[in-house]
Amino acid sequence: MTRANGPIDIADTWDLRAPERVLLAWCIVCIALGFLMLWGSTHVGGEVIDTFNLLPLGLYALSLLMLHLLLVTARFRGDQLILVAVAFLSGFGMLAQYRMGSFDTAGTISLNLVLFPVGLVLMGTTAVILMRGRYQAILQGHWIWFWAALSLGLLAVLLMFGERFRGGVYAAGLVTPSEILKVTIVLFVAGFVSRNTKSLSSWGKGLPIPPWRALLPLAGFWLVLAGLLVVQRDLGLFIILSIALLTMLFVGTGRLGYLLFGGIGAVAMAGVVLTVLPHGERRVTAWLEPFRDPTGGSWQILQGLSGMFSGGLWGEGFGRGNPEYTPIAQSDFIYSVIGEELGFAGCAIVILFFLILFGRSLLVASRAPEHDGRVVGVGLVTILATQTFLNIGGVTKFVPLTGLPLPFISHGGSSLITGFIGIGILLAVSDGQPAAPPRNRIAKQAKGVRVQGKGVRRNRRPSAD
Amino acid sequence: MTSHLNPELWSLIRVALHAGFFFTAAYLLRSMFDARRDTELKHLPRPKWSVRIPIVLLTLVFIGILIYQATWQLIGASRPEFIAFMQLHDRRELNPAHRIQRGRILDHRGEVLAYSEEILGQVYRLYPDGPAFTHVVGYSHPWFGASGMESVANVRLNGGAPDGLGDWGTLGRQLVTQDKRPRGQDLTLTLDAELQRMAFGLLGEQRGAVVVLRPADGAIRTLVSTPSYDPNRVTASLFQDSGPSAALLNRATQGLYPPGSTFKILLAALALEQGFSGTLECPADGFTTSSRYRKIRDHEFYAARKRGSTWPGHGRLDLATAFARSSNVFFAQLGVRYGHHAFDVMAERMQFNRRMILHETPYGSWSMRTGEIPRLDASDRYGLAQMSIGQGAALVTPAHMALIAGAVANRGLAVRPRLIETDEPTPLAYFMSTSVAERLSAMLRQVVTSGTGRGIDTPRLAIAGKTGTAENPHGAAHSWFVGFAPVDRPQLAVAVLVEHGGYGSTTAAPIAQDLLLRAVDLGLIE
Repeated sequence: MTRANGPIDIADTWDLRAPERVLLAWCIVCIALGFLMLWGSTHVGGEVIDTFNLLPLGLYALSLLMLHLLLVTARFRGDQLILVAVAFLSGFGMLAQYRMGSFDTAGTISLNLVLFPVGLVLMGTTAVILMRGRYQAILQGHWIWFWAALSLGLLAVLLMFGERFRGGVYAAGLVTPSEILKVTIVLFVAGFVSRNTKSLSSWGKGLPIPPWRALLPLAGFWLVLAGLLVVQRDLGLFIILSIALLTMLFVGTGRLGYLLFGGIGAVAMAGVVLTVLPHGERRVTAWLEPFRDPTGGSWQILQGLSGMFSGGLWGEGFGRGNPEYTPIAQSDFIYSVIGEELGFAGCAIVILFFLILFGRSLLVASRAPEHDGRVVGVGLVTILATQTFLNIGGVTKFVPLTGLPLPFISHGGSSLITGFIGIGILLAVSDGQPAAPPRNRIAKQAKGVRVQGKGVRRNRRPSAD
Repeated sequence: MTSHLNPELWSLIRVALHAGFFFTAAYLLRSMFDARRDTELKHLPRPKWSVRIPIVLLTLVFIGILIYQATWQLIGASRPEFIAFMQLHDRRELNPAHRIQRGRILDHRGEVLAYSEEILGQVYRLYPDGPAFTHVVGYSHPWFGASGMESVANVRLNGGAPDGLGDWGTLGRQLVTQDKRPRGQDLTLTLDAELQRMAFGLLGEQRGAVVVLRPADGAIRTLVSTPSYDPNRVTASLFQDSGPSAALLNRATQGLYPPGSTFKILLAALALEQGFSGTLECPADGFTTSSRYRKIRDHEFYAARKRGSTWPGHGRLDLATAFARSSNVFFAQLGVRYGHHAFDVMAERMQFNRRMILHETPYGSWSMRTGEIPRLDASDRYGLAQMSIGQGAALVTPAHMALIAGAVANRGLAVRPRLIETDEPTPLAYFMSTSVAERLSAMLRQVVTSGTGRGIDTPRLAIAGKTGTAENPHGAAHSWFVGFAPVDRPQLAVAVLVEHGGYGSTTAAPIAQDLLLRAVDLGLIE
């Protein structure tokens, strides 16, 4: 094999990843400008800036450097633009969180401060561990049932021992372990779909009836999941997971019917859920008629919008707004803080980076050599894109508020880490297979793939050696 | 980094950093776009399906969000209710909504009752006359929200919704120049500032209400409720007071009081409508429906007893005389004579037991309560007799009494009261037939020329009206006067209520006389 199948030594990888290096450097420059803006504002405001404040920026630069070196030494061939987009977004998130005082250090290094750097490196590590097609291993055999059991078990445990806060259930310290479901469920569904592709895509002839027998395990699982999530009032997560499920079924089987039936089911279920949960209905009313009860149900959203209005086109810069008047600004409403301090332009930039991330991830998913890689990729992109859409759409009153964090920018440990791990898996998919796979491999049975996968792993050096 | 940073220098650096941030981000985006070729995933096979459609869809969705976001962030000024929300509830000093010139509130002559003034970058709402107009104009406060017209007409005061092509042009200009300072529209009320101030002064420390309106078109010239408060200084303690002396309560439109003898206007209308032309025996001993109940007697009986003498009684009275002398015995008999059904029909016709909208916008309404007349049990004849003389279960608001007086003055037709000059006058209903109204106004005139209201008769103006003294369980009687002037071509109808003011003829009637005479000076009555 030639270069078409990827670099063979570190020097090649160093050359290959040159664009990434340059772009990451620009990321650091850009985020550093943001930090300068912020430091200047607090300094004029009377606060003394000590060297300790430089720590977040230093950690950010250091983590990007480590991430890059890690990928080069591992001879990683995967996508570079996804990486840069995530690096920029998390740097931006770090800046926003720093501005909101989330890293209130007071002499000690807070956990939040290291979350972004650790997450970035974790993303690289996940990618390296699962690269060269190794991600397939966790989609096969008993692994998928492990993911399914882990998801439901976690929810059940959370329900038993969690604390209620603001309508949702959290574990101690407002950590939301259910965030990890965004990865485990995608792994489970992707494994399930690619294992049963044939039966799942054999719809009834003439009448468009989905194959009930094949769907049964999935439907049962989903019912239990829905029950657990509804009891925890985590509707947002359920919406995201369901959309991902339908998209993965559609992409895995090529049957548009899954989306159609899913859409009909979603509308029906929305009706039922809204009548059962007063919580949801209030949010819809606050969305449709925000001025009916402006100081009650619509207070959050109108405060966020009025903050954005004061930002205008360019904003006044980091540190110059009053985001403290926006409720829950650090987590759900961080987008409105961006709108307030960096204006419409700042929001547009964030959205552009998200679009690059999604577009590029979709490209990776579509080119994944393996069927399950494709489904996993699409699942992960769907999760991220839906979450982003629901958060930004909710804050701008485009759609009802669902209470979801904005990926890579909002405050929140589990949400951030899950996002980074998801992107890590996507990056691993983009690394491709160790050797050029035969074209007809997808048609083979799952067992055959596994045997071949094992053989390939043992034999890491491609034939070019 | 601990050295002092010069704020002026910093503002320059800040702009440079701000621009630098955007330029770098934009440069980064462009470089990523250019790097597509260099970072192509050569080791992966050809795509199995096209990603173009999902990417285009995703992009369109997010562009949709951005466009929608722009309708709030960039041209949010085109949503008056949004501006109103920010003016009331946003505490950001930088928020441009605080610099919007909210429209003024004027009286019908153009005198300013409320205006906005920018002081050191912050816009304040000021009320030059303060408490006299509060119950109509209301207040607009960043913490306590808004009330009265400030609240109901908020949208108009903030500039109104864009409906014409010209408005959209303004929006476009705002978008380009970042000018977020639309001027609000002024709001002209039908109030007469002079008359209102005078009424407020005449009530003084007493609790009460005055309503003056034009019978022909419903324009409210005066609407005063005391005690009042200063809208320039709204404080939390205002909202804690909910007792009988609560300043927030608009007594003119929401306060329910026993009407006393002024209610006899309704009974007289009922009798005329039913063709009553005879006389009724009105003994000094009074009238009751059953020996178990206390007798309803006339005022003269008690006055004589107080002096230690006896009063012979009115004897047989016709309607006009009984009305002028305000005989309780007569009207109690009259009410019982016509019965519950006729009474309820009359109450329904005069629109009792309702909430009447005076001005309505999608964001609130300004309404008044009409009187309350509960349906009595058919066997409760004594209750009917009590109500017929304005005691017992019957309650009215001063605004409703002014409306009834206006209907008599307007030959039976009641016109919906209105507070906004530009609102169209709309007829409400015939409270009574034209002929009844004409005979009734002659009777009301007689009250002032030779009856209980003769103390306010003046050669300068032919006032017609009815006094009332409403007994209530909480102390001295409420003092009422309801009427209109001049009697041959009425131009103003008036209702005056003074809580615990004693006799209607000594407290409320002189206030009404002063106001009507002042209205002549002001040209409101020609």
